[in-house]
Amino acid sequence: MLDYMQLVLAPQMLNALSIAVPTILVALGLTITFGLLDVINMAHGELYALGAFLALSASRLGLGFWTLLPLIPLVMMPIGWFAERWLVQRVFSRPDRKTLTLLLTLGLSLVLEDVFKLLYGPNPHRPELPLRGGVELLGVFLPSYRLFLIAAGTGVIAAVWIIARHTRLGAIIRAVAWDSQMAAALGVPVERVTAGAFAFGVMLAGLAGVLLGPIYSVFPTMGQDFILTSFAVVIVGGMGSIPGTIVAGLLLTQMQSIATLYIPPAWSDPLVFALLILVLLVRPQGLFGRIGHA
Amino acid sequence: MAKAWNWGKKWGTSGNRSWGMGGTGVALLLPMLVADSAAALPEASSPPARPLKMGVVTPLSGTYAGIGQQVRWGLELAAREINAKGGISGRRIELVFEDEEANPTVAAQKAERLFQVAGVDFLTGTVNSGSTLAVAQVAERNDRLAATTVSFSDAITGDRCSPNMFRVNARASQQSAVLAEWLAKKMPQARVFALGPDYEMGRNTVASFKAAVQQRGVEPVGEIFAPLDSKDYSPYLGRIRAMRPNVFYTSVAGNDTVRLVSQLEEYGLLKSLTMIGASGTVTSQNLGAIGKAATGFVTGVGYSPELDTPENKQFVAAFREAFHAAPDLYGADSYGFLYFYKAAVARASSTDTAKLRTAMQGLSWMTPQGQKTMRAGDHQAIQDMYVVQVDDGRFKVVSRVPGEAAIGPDSCSRW
Repeated sequence: MLDYMQLVLAPQMLNALSIAVPTILVALGLTITFGLLDVINMAHGELYALGAFLALSASRLGLGFWTLLPLIPLVMMPIGWFAERWLVQRVFSRPDRKTLTLLLTLGLSLVLEDVFKLLYGPNPHRPELPLRGGVELLGVFLPSYRLFLIAAGTGVIAAVWIIARHTRLGAIIRAVAWDSQMAAALGVPVERVTAGAFAFGVMLAGLAGVLLGPIYSVFPTMGQDFILTSFAVVIVGGMGSIPGTIVAGLLLTQMQSIATLYIPPAWSDPLVFALLILVLLVRPQGLFGRIGHA
Repeated sequence: MAKAWNWGKKWGTSGNRSWGMGGTGVALLLPMLVADSAAALPEASSPPARPLKMGVVTPLSGTYAGIGQQVRWGLELAAREINAKGGISGRRIELVFEDEEANPTVAAQKAERLFQVAGVDFLTGTVNSGSTLAVAQVAERNDRLAATTVSFSDAITGDRCSPNMFRVNARASQQSAVLAEWLAKKMPQARVFALGPDYEMGRNTVASFKAAVQQRGVEPVGEIFAPLDSKDYSPYLGRIRAMRPNVFYTSVAGNDTVRLVSQLEEYGLLKSLTMIGASGTVTSQNLGAIGKAATGFVTGVGYSPELDTPENKQFVAAFREAFHAAPDLYGADSYGFLYFYKAAVARASSTDTAKLRTAMQGLSWMTPQGQKTMRAGDHQAIQDMYVVQVDDGRFKVVSRVPGEAAIGPDSCSRW
C-alpha cells in the first residue's frame, strides 16, 4: 500500500499540483472579472496567449526569462485597463450588457487568434526552459522548472488572497462588487476600480502565459488549452470567489490526474464536465458562492 | 454600434430595423463569411475556356494549421507551374480554399458548400483522416471525385474505401512496414511503447505499427492514447516509466509533438529512449520548435527534402524560392497530386467523373519522389518508401524500400 502511494499516487498528485497552479492563475483572472464586473471574458484564453507571445518577442529582442517574467505582466496591465475602458465600458450601460459583453469578448478572442497567426505564423515556437534538470522530492522526480512553477504560482496566489482579504484595496474591491452604487456614494471611484480589477485579471492571465510557454510551447490557438478547465474551475468554485477558485482548481486537477491512472485519457475531460453538471444541478452558486456575497 | 448597423445593411439583410445584439453577432461573423465567398468568386478576366476549379478543404487554423499551410504551398506552386505552361488542356487551374479546422463535421459542410455553391470540379486538401472519410461520402453524393494528399488512416483505401476518393500519399501500413523493418533489424530486443492521438489516425497508425513489429518478432510493452491537443503528457509519464521502454513510437503531429517531446525531455526520459514515429510527427513545420530534442528521431516516410533525385532538387529549389521554407511530405505530395490530376485529365480527355475515375485507376505519373502508380483496386498510390532520420536539423535518408514491397495487400472490396 505504501509502495503504491509513493511510486504511483504521489507522483501523480505532485504532477497535478504543477498543473493546478497555472490553472488557478488563469482561473483567478476570470473569476475576478466575473465577480466584479459580471463580465464573462471569452477572450481570457487569448490574453493568456498574448502574454506568451509578448514574452516570445521580448526574448527575441534579447531579454532573458527572469527579466521578462515581471515585465510582461506589467505590460499586460495597461492593455487590460484600456480593453475594459474602451470596449467593455462602451456596452456596460445597456440592459442586455451580459450578452453584449459575451459577444464582444468572443469577437475579441477571434480577432486576437488570427492576429497571432498573421504575425507569428501557424507553427509552434518553444521558448528555452530557464531551469534544467530535476529534483527528487520524497522519492518523486520533479523537473526544477515545475517546482519553480509551483513555488512562484503559490506565491502569486497567496499575494492575491492577502490583497483581497487583508488590505484596504481589497476591501474597496469587495465593496464595489457587493454594491457599486453605495460604494460610489461613499466616494469610491467605481469605474477606476473595475478597470483596475479587469487589468489585474488580464495580468494574471499574461503571467500564466509567460510561465507556461517553455513547457506547453507557444502557438496561435493556445488560448483553447485552458478554456474548458478555467471555466469549469470558476463555475465549480463559485463565480467571483477567490478561495473557491483555489479549492476548485486543486480539486479538478487532482481528480483528472488520479483518474488517468484508471480510465483512458479521453475520459478525463468528460469527467470534468460531469462534475460541472453535478455542481450546477446541486449547488449552482458553486462551492463558495460569490465574492462579497459568500 | 453604428458601424455594425451599416455593415448589416450593405449585405442585404433587410427587414429588421433594430440591430442590437443580433447585429453585433452578424457583424462580427460577416467578415469571415465574406472572405470565404470572395475566394469562391471566379476571376474577372474572360479566358477562352472555363477555368478548372479545384476545391481545397484544409485546416487553415487550429493544431494542424502548419500542415494546411504546406498543402496550400504545394498546390499553389504546382498550379502556378501548370498555368504558366498553358493549364490543363488549355484551361487554367483555380484553387478555392476553405478551412476544415481539422474537424470532420466542418470539413463535410465546407466540401458540400464547395461542390454545390462554388461548383468545383474536384476536391482535395483534407488532412484529418476523419475529414477525408466524411468528404468521400460528400463526393459520392455529389457525383464528383476527391483526393487526399495527407491522411494516413488505412481505412480510407481499406475497409472504408470509396470509388470517389483517391489517395496520393503513403498510408499508415506503408509507413509502418518500412519502419518496423528497420527496427527489427537494428534493435530486435526492443521494448516499444506507443503513444497516439485518440482519433482515427492515431488509433490506426499505432495498431498498424504494432501489427508490423509483432510480425517481425518485436513485442510492444504498452500503449496509450491521449486526446488530440493534449497540453500536458506528464500524467502518463508514470505509466510509461514503469514499463521501462527503450523505444518510443508516437504518431502525434504538429504542436502535440512539440509538447510531448519537450515534456519527455523535461522529465529526463528522452535520453534513454530511441524515438520513432509516423511520417507526420516531425516535419519542417515543427522541427524548429522541437529543436535539438528531435535529433535521432526515425520515421518511415514517402518523402524527404534531402532525396537525391533531379526532380526533387528542382522542386525543393522552386519551393524555397517561392515560400522561403523547406517542403515537407505534405507539400511534396500536394504538389505531386496536381500533376496526377493533370495526367488523368489528359488521359481521359475529359473531366467527366466516370471517365476521370477510369483514367486515374492504374495511372503512373512523375513526382519529386520518383514515379508513383495509382492502384486501381483501392485507389492507393504505390510509391517507394524511405527510412529517414533527423540529424542536425535535416531529414537524412537512411534506407529505401521499393513501392511494391511496402504497399501491402488490397483490402478494398467495394468494386
